[in-house]
Amino acid sequence: MNTGKSETEEGKKRSGDVIVETISRVMVPFIQLFALYVIMHGSSGPGGGFQGGVIFGASFVLLVIAFGIVNAGNRFPEAVNTALFSTGVYIYAGVGLLCIICSLGAAQYLNYGFLSLPVHFEERRALGMDFIEIGVGITVMAVIAEIFFNLAWKKEEKKEGGKE
Amino acid sequence: MKLISLSALLFVIVLGALFIYVAEDIPDFGDSNSAPNRYVKLFNIEADGLMDDLNQGVIPQSLADKIEERGLPLPTRVESIEEGEWDFFLVPEERQQAFYPKEQKYYFIKKAGDELEVFRYSLIIRWIEEGEEETEVINMVTYGLADYRGYDTLGETSVIFTAGVSVLLLLRRRGKRPEAR
Repeated sequence: MNTGKSETEEGKKRSGDVIVETISRVMVPFIQLFALYVIMHGSSGPGGGFQGGVIFGASFVLLVIAFGIVNAGNRFPEAVNTALFSTGVYIYAGVGLLCIICSLGAAQYLNYGFLSLPVHFEERRALGMDFIEIGVGITVMAVIAEIFFNLAWKKEEKKEGGKE
Repeated sequence: MKLISLSALLFVIVLGALFIYVAEDIPDFGDSNSAPNRYVKLFNIEADGLMDDLNQGVIPQSLADKIEERGLPLPTRVESIEEGEWDFFLVPEERQQAFYPKEQKYYFIKKAGDELEVFRYSLIIRWIEEGEEETEVINMVTYGLADYRGYDTLGETSVIFTAGVSVLLLLRRRGKRPEAR
């Protein structure tokens, strides 16, 4: 989509096709909503953190494919992305540690039943699972975006280097 | 900037220490009391006289003695499933209550000819029959992945995290980004 042809043209604002850009602009919010649904639906159907995270990351990939890395990539600061993918792991590890802290050392790591939530034991396990799914989802989403953005930037750099 | 690097290093060390510390809770390999090795046929016992007790919901003394002889936890309640098949329930001892604090299905008795065969429940049966009850989640895959094997999934997430960090280190752009046109 991001062809070299458009760069030679005078109007350098748009790098791709108007149909592709419009369709992807409409689709991205729905893809992200679906990703959130898949993450939260993991406990009662197919889905979960890994799958939902990949779908969420795919929405960013679609944006970059449609608009080009120069236009879309600058909207996602690298520092925020880097912070996000460690945040996911920390949410996961933190929920596990909370189980030890809330039970004053009686329960095991990641034994969600001992989280101090105002519901009964089994319900707490279900909620604990949802929390860690969110952590997994954040990590996977950030890593997918990170890998794709870095590769795309690398290609862009080479192209610019060759031109000069 | 230096403060950020230092605190990040501290975080990493704390997290590593935590993972090593919590790995102590994982059962040993080949430990016959650990959950993965629970599908075990324990022993046979003569059936005469015991069946009436079992059908009335009483645990026969000779059976209890034989279980205790082997150093296994004593059952507290009997429930009949079908003709000639019973479940034994027990309240876990204090050390195990952190795993699951309620009464659980533990032994399975089956009549075979003149003898009663005594089994312990396997992980698989526990996973399929009791998972939904224990976790309030109807998806068998999810409670396996996120609850029973939660530590494993934490490792998988760390693998993905490591992949992201490696890509960041190898491909990160040193220069300035071009502005949007």
